[in-house]
Amino acid sequence: MASRIGVYFDQQNIGGGLDCEALAAMVKTKWGVLTPVVKVYPVLAEAVADIQADITANELNGVLICGPTPRLDWEIYQFGAAVQVERVNMQEHVVHACADLEQLPKVAADYVNMGVVKLQKSEIPDSAAFETVKRVLVVGGGWTGLTAALEASKTGYEVVLVEKTAALGGKALNMPRTSPLQAPWRDMTNSGLEAKLAEVSADSNITVYTEASIAKMEGQPGDFTCTIATSGRAVEVKVGSAVLATGWTPLDNKYLESMGLGKLQGVTHMAAFAKTMLGGTVPAKRVAFVLDTTMAEEMAAALAASAEAAPAEAPAGEKAKEELEETGFVKQDLESLRHLRYSNAVNSVAAMRLANLLCEQKEDAVQVFILYKDMTIPGILERFYKEMQNRLGIMMTKCDVTDIREENDHLVVECKNTLLGMDFDLDVDTVVLPTGIVPTTAKEAVMQFSYRQGPDFPDLDLFDGFSDSNYICFPYETRRTGVYAAGCVRQPMTMDQCAEDACGAVLKAVQCIEAADHGVAVHPRSGDTSYPVFNFVRCTQCKRCTEECPFGALDDDEKGTPKPNPARCRRCGTCFGACPERVISFANYNIDQIGSMIREVEVPKDFRVFGPRILILACENDAYPALDMAAMRNKPWSPYVRIIPVRCLGSINAIWVSDAMSKGYDGVMLMGCKYGDDYQCHFIKGSEICNRRKENIAETLNRLGVEPERVEQFELAIDEYDKVPAMIDGFVEHITRMGPNPFKGM
Amino acid sequence: MAQTKLQPDMEFVRELQAAGGDSLKKCFQCATCSVACPMSPANNPYPRKEMVWASWGLKDKLEKDIDIWLCHNCGNCADLCPRGARPADMMAAARNMVYKDLMKPSIIGKWMSSAKGLPFLFAIPAVLWLFVWWIMSLVNGGQWFPRAEDGRIVFGQIFYGDYTIDPIFMITFFGALFIILKGAMKLWQQLKPEGTLLLIGKDQPWYYHLYDLVLDEILLHKKFADCKSGPATGVKTPQRQLSHMLLFYSFCILAFVTAVVAGGHWLGKIWPAIAVHTPLPFFNPIKLAANLGAVMLLVGLGMLTVRRIRLNPKYQSSSFQDWYLLGLIWCIGLTGVLAQSFRLMDFAPPAFFIYYLHLVFVWMLFAYLPWSKLGHLVYRTTALIFARKYGRG
Repeated sequence: MASRIGVYFDQQNIGGGLDCEALAAMVKTKWGVLTPVVKVYPVLAEAVADIQADITANELNGVLICGPTPRLDWEIYQFGAAVQVERVNMQEHVVHACADLEQLPKVAADYVNMGVVKLQKSEIPDSAAFETVKRVLVVGGGWTGLTAALEASKTGYEVVLVEKTAALGGKALNMPRTSPLQAPWRDMTNSGLEAKLAEVSADSNITVYTEASIAKMEGQPGDFTCTIATSGRAVEVKVGSAVLATGWTPLDNKYLESMGLGKLQGVTHMAAFAKTMLGGTVPAKRVAFVLDTTMAEEMAAALAASAEAAPAEAPAGEKAKEELEETGFVKQDLESLRHLRYSNAVNSVAAMRLANLLCEQKEDAVQVFILYKDMTIPGILERFYKEMQNRLGIMMTKCDVTDIREENDHLVVECKNTLLGMDFDLDVDTVVLPTGIVPTTAKEAVMQFSYRQGPDFPDLDLFDGFSDSNYICFPYETRRTGVYAAGCVRQPMTMDQCAEDACGAVLKAVQCIEAADHGVAVHPRSGDTSYPVFNFVRCTQCKRCTEECPFGALDDDEKGTPKPNPARCRRCGTCFGACPERVISFANYNIDQIGSMIREVEVPKDFRVFGPRILILACENDAYPALDMAAMRNKPWSPYVRIIPVRCLGSINAIWVSDAMSKGYDGVMLMGCKYGDDYQCHFIKGSEICNRRKENIAETLNRLGVEPERVEQFELAIDEYDKVPAMIDGFVEHITRMGPNPFKGM
Repeated sequence: MAQTKLQPDMEFVRELQAAGGDSLKKCFQCATCSVACPMSPANNPYPRKEMVWASWGLKDKLEKDIDIWLCHNCGNCADLCPRGARPADMMAAARNMVYKDLMKPSIIGKWMSSAKGLPFLFAIPAVLWLFVWWIMSLVNGGQWFPRAEDGRIVFGQIFYGDYTIDPIFMITFFGALFIILKGAMKLWQQLKPEGTLLLIGKDQPWYYHLYDLVLDEILLHKKFADCKSGPATGVKTPQRQLSHMLLFYSFCILAFVTAVVAGGHWLGKIWPAIAVHTPLPFFNPIKLAANLGAVMLLVGLGMLTVRRIRLNPKYQSSSFQDWYLLGLIWCIGLTGVLAQSFRLMDFAPPAFFIYYLHLVFVWMLFAYLPWSKLGHLVYRTTALIFARKYGRG
């Protein structure tokens, strides 16, 4: 609780048009002893020493900086752990945003007062630091896993490497040569797997368990207890974090049956073909790599259509039900033809590589056809592609492969719509189809979490079982804090990318252990010292928080009392947005604090004369920067809105809307990120959850006799600053037409 | 459903690469070249499709393609190619392949396609003229380097016009002409698409189109100008129109002069009124024209040679056929001048020897015409007439 606050105005960054001295006088009068120091500086950044002196002289425990957006200059205003710093966005949200000079002092006063209250209701969190286990668990002993183990070990952490099969090496064991792993990214290369294996076995920091799997994973980052099942016994290991590198399995042949896989002699797939090449030269003289899998897609579509026509068989469902009752969890098999589509880039690179290898082995006395629909070569491997295509025996064309059939002693591939300007048949000895990369996580719960939300990674229904990040900007992160996915379990990728992925995931894993050690959030609110605190006395064990936490941070006991795991938490506040009893709070971010800020705004009684008041609760990840940018780019908006940033729209508690309505606000805008398939939420489904909760809010408002149209949610991406004025002004107009809030002035 | 079976001819690809299309495998079919080409028609443009045919070894498709003749080799496509493939060179290589494969004996075509064949190409006329030399030395009393009674060097003593040079060259020239015209007819047939050709509109005979072509394109080398109208590529391309035109007109003039002199000589024997007697006086219009032709030849040849030397190998390069033709013309010119010089300086052995070489080179120019790049004089004209007649380009 900041009880002695210094308020500072940074004139340079506030700009002209606003009388800072008058504002300072207002603050002094209004807040009295709470704000013993109120000063206006022409250039505040140069007065940091003065502020420090004020802190010592006046025993300040809070500093309120009224200047530019808090996204700027934050590193300048740091005064030690005992002094809380809060910012009022006086430049962007007040001066730049308010085109009406008459309204400007009122707007400014509201924002300063909200700032003071925010500090007043904010506390310094108790430390959540604990002694963490400096050991990284690497699950999967393939190319990615081995790289991860070595990288983690080099960084100074102990490593436990768990491999399912009897030998390390994984799929890399079956590759005769690989696409390039380093500059100049041109030629095929030996992977160097043997050297890597030798390095791992020589590393005393790395403990390897083969023929092993994870039986149970419990605890939280920095303090996981992992039970490893290996050759009939169970080993318990303490680990700080984990790298998930369990890789993939090839897509079942049945999906490519219509193209002859498993049916016609001479039809094989990329991974199997590579393996035969490993054993020596293949006899084929004419080989077609068919990357166009439209035939298989069409068959799948036809099957799906017929399956839809006939109702699903009951027994399978019943069996799943039994299993569910027995263990409480059934893993849905997510393997599908879509995995083939996702694997196109890897298969494109593989086709180029194997085609070239074939030419090399046969000294160009061979004809290799590459028939593609989409030749997708990722990133810098374009150089490799260039090198590989420049070979006499390789002939490529985009085309539709419409049939693959046997004829006498060979195969015939039927090609249509080719780049050669004609349709034709090709006589070949071997047809190589792409290999579908199915992540292990599509088929089983690899990590076996002992979490309230179940043993598996929660699926977003977006990635078909790939353990990809929940957010595009944060690779490696899974929805289980402390577990970082790398390699083909995350996305189909080539070996160079796998190695890079392994390094990235290890860095995250290490960062996670250290963050837990310091008691701070690891990501995306890196360094945040706050964490949710529960007032269990009032908890009704409704389980909403434990169910809605997007990261499964909360476990519970038999009665349903939530059990927080601060190191698993990402500090979004979705739990306290969910809590009907409001028993959850962060020291520096809580229900009462935001409620008080809402109430601190002066809402005039006469709507007609002084205009409406509208509250904007803005997501600080996307909407808030977008608002900043709109203001910076001279796109002002209505002076009747007051903006309060929230950590995530998922953290909005219905009570804030009620607070606003009873205070007399005429409308509330919930401004968050986009949701749906291409969602932009840093916390997965915050804005979507908010939208769902809004329906409950509407019900409540209806009961109170307030039109639910007064509360609306808006989707605003970070780059959509140009839409801000129309969005805000449109809503203000809408509210103005509706007239005043019936509660106003009561 | 059975459709055409494709049979890639890898040997053809190898030959094409050797004939100047070495970069053809770099193409990734983006079709920037087809867009960059200022001459390519909107309907089924080139050279994108030729690049993939080349890569797939579709010999028939490529050699029967009219579009390789529409290309005038400005190199815009290569300048703008994002992959460093050189479509213009490949088109030239494809034309080289036509020179090589069109007419029999195919061994000459093979010799013409690389430096390895050069000794054979040289050996034939070398032996032929050596034989003539030997015979004539016997006539001159066993003297290989005889002098006239007044002591002058007279080449005619050994290479006597009426009995050696003229008959040999006439047989060679008209033989080559016969072969190349047969080649033109064959090319015409293979340019025709398979199946029946339905012509909509007015059909004109080929000579109408030839007249049209000469007037519309060849006289002013209009296509070379069109070549320059492509998008700016930022790559400096040396002047081609003027130099090629100089060379072309010098050939025309020299051909005319030769025809007048030879015709005057032989026909003059029958009808003395039109007889032409060499040496002509300096101010005789024929002599003036001959000298003008010689100067234009040297200037044009020099310009074209400098252009080829200066080509940036990143965008365009020169094949053996290119250098063969330029080199041969240079050899003819140089040996001609040198033979004359040694004669005037009164060094008999070098004078005779170089004159001998001169005859060897001139013979090579005429005899190998149907298989050499110079054959484009007839083949390209044929293709362009075809294009006009059937509407392409």
